[in-house]
Amino acid sequence: MVKYTLQRTLYMIMVFFTITFMCFVLIRMLPLPVLPPEDVHTKIVMMRREALGYNEPYVVQFGIFLKNIFTKWDWGLSEILYYGQDVWSIFVQKLPATMVVNLYSIIWTIPVGIALGIFAALKKNTWVDYTISTLTMVVISVPSFVYAFLIQYLFCYKLQWFPFLMKGGTDWFSWPMFISMVPAILSLSFGTIAGFARTTRAELTEVLTSEFMLLARTKGLTKTQATVRHALRNCFVVIVPAIFGQFIGILGGSLIIEGIFGIPGVGGLTLKAITGLDYNIFILSTCFYTAIGLAASLVVDISYGFIDPRIRMGSKK
Amino acid sequence: MKGKKLVAMLLASVMCVGLLAGCGPKDAPNATPTPGGENTQPVGANYEKVEFDDQKYTYLMSVSILPANWNPHTYQTADDAVPLDYMTDSLFTAVYNDALNPVDGMDPYMGYKLIPAMAADYPVDVTAEVKAARPEFNIPEAATSGYAWSVKLRDDLKWDDGTPITAQDFVDSLERVLRGELLNYRAADYYDGSYVVANADKYSLQGTTSFKGLGMTVAAYLEQGGKVEDLYIDAYTFWNCDESYTDADGNPLSQYVSVLDETVYGEAVDDAFSGKELYDAYFAPGAEYESMAGDYMGTMVEYEADYPMSNVGLYVSGDNELTFVFRNALDGFYLMTYGMSTTYLVKTDLYDSCLTEREGVWSSNYNSSVETSASCGPYKLSDFQRDKSMHLVKNENWYGWDSGIYTYVDPSDGKQYDMYQSTDIDIQYVQEAATNKTMFLAGQLMTYGLQAEDFDQYRSSEFCYAIPGQSVFGLVMNGYMKVLQEREAASDFDKNTTDLEMMSVEAFKKALAVSIDRDDMCASVSPARSAGFGLIGTRYVYDPETGALYRDTPQAKKALCDFYSVDPANYGGDLDKAVAAITGFDPEAAVGFFQQAFEEGIEKGYITDNDGDGISDQTVTIQYALSAEASAFMEKTLAYLNESIGKAATGTPFEGKIKFIFSAVLGNKWSEAIQNGTADCVLAGWSGATMDPFGFADTWTADRSYWTNWFDSKAVSMTMTIKGEELTMSLRDWAECLNGNMKTVNGKEYNFGYGQVDVETRLDILAECEKTVMGAYVTLPMLADGSMALLSQQVYYVVEEFSPIMIRGGIQYLKYNYSDTEWAEYVASQGGTLQY
Repeated sequence: MVKYTLQRTLYMIMVFFTITFMCFVLIRMLPLPVLPPEDVHTKIVMMRREALGYNEPYVVQFGIFLKNIFTKWDWGLSEILYYGQDVWSIFVQKLPATMVVNLYSIIWTIPVGIALGIFAALKKNTWVDYTISTLTMVVISVPSFVYAFLIQYLFCYKLQWFPFLMKGGTDWFSWPMFISMVPAILSLSFGTIAGFARTTRAELTEVLTSEFMLLARTKGLTKTQATVRHALRNCFVVIVPAIFGQFIGILGGSLIIEGIFGIPGVGGLTLKAITGLDYNIFILSTCFYTAIGLAASLVVDISYGFIDPRIRMGSKK
Repeated sequence: MKGKKLVAMLLASVMCVGLLAGCGPKDAPNATPTPGGENTQPVGANYEKVEFDDQKYTYLMSVSILPANWNPHTYQTADDAVPLDYMTDSLFTAVYNDALNPVDGMDPYMGYKLIPAMAADYPVDVTAEVKAARPEFNIPEAATSGYAWSVKLRDDLKWDDGTPITAQDFVDSLERVLRGELLNYRAADYYDGSYVVANADKYSLQGTTSFKGLGMTVAAYLEQGGKVEDLYIDAYTFWNCDESYTDADGNPLSQYVSVLDETVYGEAVDDAFSGKELYDAYFAPGAEYESMAGDYMGTMVEYEADYPMSNVGLYVSGDNELTFVFRNALDGFYLMTYGMSTTYLVKTDLYDSCLTEREGVWSSNYNSSVETSASCGPYKLSDFQRDKSMHLVKNENWYGWDSGIYTYVDPSDGKQYDMYQSTDIDIQYVQEAATNKTMFLAGQLMTYGLQAEDFDQYRSSEFCYAIPGQSVFGLVMNGYMKVLQEREAASDFDKNTTDLEMMSVEAFKKALAVSIDRDDMCASVSPARSAGFGLIGTRYVYDPETGALYRDTPQAKKALCDFYSVDPANYGGDLDKAVAAITGFDPEAAVGFFQQAFEEGIEKGYITDNDGDGISDQTVTIQYALSAEASAFMEKTLAYLNESIGKAATGTPFEGKIKFIFSAVLGNKWSEAIQNGTADCVLAGWSGATMDPFGFADTWTADRSYWTNWFDSKAVSMTMTIKGEELTMSLRDWAECLNGNMKTVNGKEYNFGYGQVDVETRLDILAECEKTVMGAYVTLPMLADGSMALLSQQVYYVVEEFSPIMIRGGIQYLKYNYSDTEWAEYVASQGGTLQY
């Protein structure tokens, strides 16, 4: 298992650098905004581009980029969107808002989604199952920003229960901040709840009809014992990776939901960096998401070993 | 070439926005300076002063892009400059003319007055003294005024932390914005253009080699001893090209090419040229565009290293006194706004601490957070969260609160009030228009810009205000015969069923022009806009000293009446009534024009009528240039054009035979497609330079015209009687002459530029140019740009009349019906949703 983990980690680092280099080159290959030739500022912008090394070969630029990171943890300054400001501090400042909103969302959506899925599976082919399954399909089919507008209109405008926008400030875990996040949390939650409910129901329904469940019952286990000890554990082989996927989503944020509720998160930062050709922000975002994505897949792979004994046994061979 | 004037106009426009905080009357320079802090404004001796209570009044606004960098030396966008409106000040400011600041011959609140703000008094012309004492400024020998001005500063100027602001701070700030190694984006504002500080370029560009415009013809340059081999052409600007033009070896074109360089660039894009070819064909003595060499040619100048700041034309000349020395003579409005702009003022110790140097490149995070911000204006930053919100509160150290300057007499009650009733300014990032609307209706925003779907409900609201735009959007029509014929000659073009050539027939264009009911089009397509009949919008000011508008002049009105054949005599000689009667819509005339066009088309072989039914066999297919996927506005526009023109053509030889279609998505190339005739029409207009409508004449008629490459303004003759003399010149020559170029007619030289003749004569010429250009039917005026917005019931404008200079008074003149507390109660009493 240790060897397997080390091997995967090594692969992960290699893939990380490959992706980073590709993204670095590709973004720098994008044409910079065309400068109006007679604009009095054009000359200064061109001189600045020259000074920043934009005209150097890509490999040289990548080398300088790596050197600055490894020697000074210097990810550079924003040149366009947040002129003159350190991109690392910008990114770090924007991360908490995204994480907190998504964390609140996940904290209640996973148990609720799984619970609904279990309930539907245990009540298979009853009105309860039909209701949950139908609602699940409806909710999954509608994009989250539609809920966002509905929630904002109903709860913020008509009923005035919540503010239109997330509260300003960095008191992430205060009660007023939580209240101001509720519309965004709800908007993010419906789809996730429906997704988990559907996955759980489908897996559990299949497992509950398996022969080993019959064996478990014949050995004297109650239905609850058999379900909790054997059926659910098998379901988690599918559900756990989905949970990890949701945690990656925590960091990724939601561009649209963040925009609607005024959440100053990282959701739109990468997109803005690409459209604004703010190289340093884009590269930092890319590196971050690449690292998170690779780490998550590593964790998922390793987690299989703990959840599914067959995978753990396989790794010993 | 097309970009040059546009950018110049946009820049001028941006400059206006940035600088209109301060100006002064023309006779002001003779005023006697007074000690700093003792302002000479009358402080309401005869008017009852109403003090505001100590309640909180918060101005709530939303933005779709929250400022990230409002450093006055580096900001690049208008979005970033928003906080500067509240956190900076200027030497002179514009206030409405009222009982405290009367203007002769003008009713209160019908104009504005320029008064000293950070300055203690009006500037004093010291050209003669400076010329004698400081030869390094190169003030022309013959100059006696306008180049050097001294101004006394108030002695109570402070930063928001209480640090005094002195004259030296202005000089030190200018030094920093110009400092070459910092490569500040805004540096060029102070060394390039028409309102520049003397020697600022030498300080900023010291030790570098840079292109310097010739500013004269090549012949004149050679006469002065210049050498041809030193001349370069700004190829990017003149030839409208860029580095994608390469030579045979793939080397990209540089912006400046030597006139001796025979390397050919651009063969791959079928627009090849060499520097030598351009020079010989266009700029050499006797060549076609010889007179324009000054705009596109220049020399490469090596700027002297170690140039001292003491030689730059801004220095401390006395006790808290500054002296400005300009490269060009300035006076009045332009002096006190553009010339004496002090937007560069920074708190130098804080500024220096914000500078960072990495890999030899300097950056600054000055004015990007509360900690790195300094204010010398009425408000200061109290809270800022990136991409979320910013909050400003009153800057208690601002001199304005106690100066007596910022006060006015409200004409509605004759009482005197202080400006800036808002105690706080809250700026929220709100991305979605729907969120903006619901927040506004819940009383959480001061204004809401109406969207297309809102007009039916709110346009009649008493809280709805129209905001005229600068542009008049005209339907630019294709008339490039050569290209039309080339397109028809394409193998996949079916000449039996489709025609393009008719677009070049004037009668056909006239028919299109009178087939469209502009008012109805606005109502159907874009309700915020209004019918546009001229080429210049209603916001253009021809006299910045008074704020007088071009569109309000008799000349402009008469030009419209003449063009649209509306006789003022039928309206009792009342030009306003005559102009109000213009519709531009005449379906009966359209029938006649279509018939005339048909006959001309048949005669010239553009179209056929083989079956003899009196209807064209071909459908005239007009491609509307799309820059991106068609928006709802464009879809509606195209549908409207097809419907209204189809209706007007009913019963004519073009019944069912005219079709507007969308082009493929052309991206940034849409304007090129219009210019080179590969697309046929587009709704487009020009904006910017709102203080200089005369520049439009140049824009309309420039070689390689801004609209089209086929319209030859040199071939259009225009005759006018100027001061009893009948003069005939080409339209292009009139335009150039109106904009300061000398033209010779019958052996006599004429120049109708600014300051060369009286403004009435210039207006006569501009109006005639406008009429003549409209008569060429290159573009058919359609929609006057504009928008509408709801204003919160919490506040009201002291002056409801829109003024291009004062807008509606801005936050200075905004008054509150309710304090924040009262407002919250009021909104709650309305059930949380307000009715507008």
